Amino acid sequence: MKIVEKCKQNINHICFGLIAVALAIVPPLISAGSVSTPTGIFLGKCIAFAIVAIGLDLIWGYTGILSLGHGLYFALGGYAMAMYLKLSATGGKITEFMHTGGLTELPLIWEPFNNLPAAIALMIIVPGLLAGIVGYFIFKNRVKGVYFSIISQALTWAAYSVFIALSPYTNGNVGITEIKSVLGSIRGGANQGNLFTLFYIALGVLILIYALSAYLVSTKFGKLLVAIRDGENRTYFSGYKVSRYKNFVYVLSAVIAAVAGAIFVNFNGSITPSQMTISYSITMVIWVAIGGRGTLVGAVLGAFIMNLCEYNLSSGALAEVWQYIIGGIFCIAILFFKGGIVGLFKEQIPARIRKLTNRRSKEGAENG
Amino acid sequence: MSQVINTLFNGLSLSSIILLTSLGLAITFGLMRVINMAHGEFVMVGAYITYVVQQLFVKYVPQSLFSLYYFAALIAAFLAAAILGCLLEKVVISRLYGREIDSLLATSGISLVLQQAARSIFGSQGVNVNAPSFLTGGLSVGGVTFSYNRIFIILLVAVTMAAMWFVIYRTNFGSQMRAVMQNRPMAQCLGINSRRVDNLTFGLGSGLAGIAGCSVALLGSIDSTVGQSYIVNSFIAVVLGGVGKLAGTVLGSGIIGFAGITIERFMSSSIAKALVLILIIVFLQKKPQGLFTIRSRSLDE
Repeated sequence: MKIVEKCKQNINHICFGLIAVALAIVPPLISAGSVSTPTGIFLGKCIAFAIVAIGLDLIWGYTGILSLGHGLYFALGGYAMAMYLKLSATGGKITEFMHTGGLTELPLIWEPFNNLPAAIALMIIVPGLLAGIVGYFIFKNRVKGVYFSIISQALTWAAYSVFIALSPYTNGNVGITEIKSVLGSIRGGANQGNLFTLFYIALGVLILIYALSAYLVSTKFGKLLVAIRDGENRTYFSGYKVSRYKNFVYVLSAVIAAVAGAIFVNFNGSITPSQMTISYSITMVIWVAIGGRGTLVGAVLGAFIMNLCEYNLSSGALAEVWQYIIGGIFCIAILFFKGGIVGLFKEQIPARIRKLTNRRSKEGAENG
Repeated sequence: MSQVINTLFNGLSLSSIILLTSLGLAITFGLMRVINMAHGEFVMVGAYITYVVQQLFVKYVPQSLFSLYYFAALIAAFLAAAILGCLLEKVVISRLYGREIDSLLATSGISLVLQQAARSIFGSQGVNVNAPSFLTGGLSVGGVTFSYNRIFIILLVAVTMAAMWFVIYRTNFGSQMRAVMQNRPMAQCLGINSRRVDNLTFGLGSGLAGIAGCSVALLGSIDSTVGQSYIVNSFIAVVLGGVGKLAGTVLGSGIIGFAGITIERFMSSSIAKALVLILIIVFLQKKPQGLFTIRSRSLDE
């Protein structure tokens, strides 16, 4: 009996465990031939999306701060990784688009990306620092609610225009393309080993970040985040420096998004400024909303379900209607299923069943 | 001298376009506190309506009257966007009052749907509107050319502002609207149908976006993302001016427009745009509630 209780309490973690196991058997399935290599690569991207969704869930689902600019941090992480990969492809020499842009030497900002540890460090430091500075001022001045959303959106838009304008350094609209993963090429049958290793690394990062986040929200710190979401002023009056907590979560989720971006680049083989747009950032929020905000597993579920649907539907006859479906589902989820998929199964359906059984037992009592 | 005049004129022109797209937001976001992420798509609807009306005129109306299509388009765009807005309010937003962030998310879903609808109907290629004949060319004064369509947009904004002022301050509906926005329970007690007022107010704000779409159509090609490029500036203009203050929105748009054009003289236009936004975000740290603040002792303002 005790085990059942324990399972019930940890149902979210068990769900996540099942997802992780399902992902872990993907590489064997690929080598057995029942899953195609492109699908495997796509699932790798999904892992990256799930990671950024966890970060968004921390800041939005738990702390109640809606950021419409996480695409920026995702892309910053992605660009950092892509710059390293591009340089390792050219052997540290100046790239073609820089030539076209009129540069004759490798720009100074590209120099540190010549070696992997520095690139990884920058991949974390740059978005973290940016989020730290932005968050410090915004939260200290108590910009909150929709104002924060609007400002984060404007910031993302500004960064996007800068990235496009600085095309000799960033290759503008095209982005950094034709790159291999850290381990070398992952496409084609001969490189399956690389793909599998990369896949397990990504899965490991996902599990690590999930575990870290799950631990964080189970501590007193996590309770404080929820307190900030549900009653910010009360939390202030209880003597907590709310702005510091908010800033910390903002930086944490930005770094998580950057890590996700770096993983994404490895699977995708390119990064473009479109990953930095507002609509991309909103898409990420949609994953969390559909999966279920405030439950980490919901974010993971949402990212996988929405992307798998898109992957399977957006190429065939349904390509035209896919955007209608995603927009419609999102609207309906916000209107009627505030808890998303997780809320549906954990609260709404049990509540319905309880109602039905209550009515039945009442009727039974009356008849009897 | 002529360069200064030119800069001033361009600044005025850019400000007026931003103002036109933010007027609707000043109502829906400023007064009603609904974050309508689909506002940009209403601008897009207005632009496409202009295109459709033009095509209809090409087909069914004698050549000599062709230039009049633009006025028909203004009315049609206002009505189409307003009806769409009323519908959106009734179906989605009326369920989300008091849940600001949820209304933001729900309307961004709507915005995806509207963008796809535009792509399905008109294709992903941009379409172009032929400016009516009286708007081609420009006025040359002392070596500076003022293009007619920019002058027209400035006039259009002035007329729209005047009409809005009239509706809000001189009509029965306007006073009901202000009453509901200022003190809803009291207005309801006085017998005002507040749901209807909400609905019409949202429709008015959306209709203004439609008119903005008409002017956007004059400036360049129209595609499904045309609204997106204006929406960020519009939101920032409303926030900068102070949410809930129409005069603030005017000033906010003016600042964004003139600052943008001035900085553009020294660097590329996309860097200028970014710089303006960043400067405003920095400024908002000093005055988080914008230029015109409504004084309040409430904690959650």
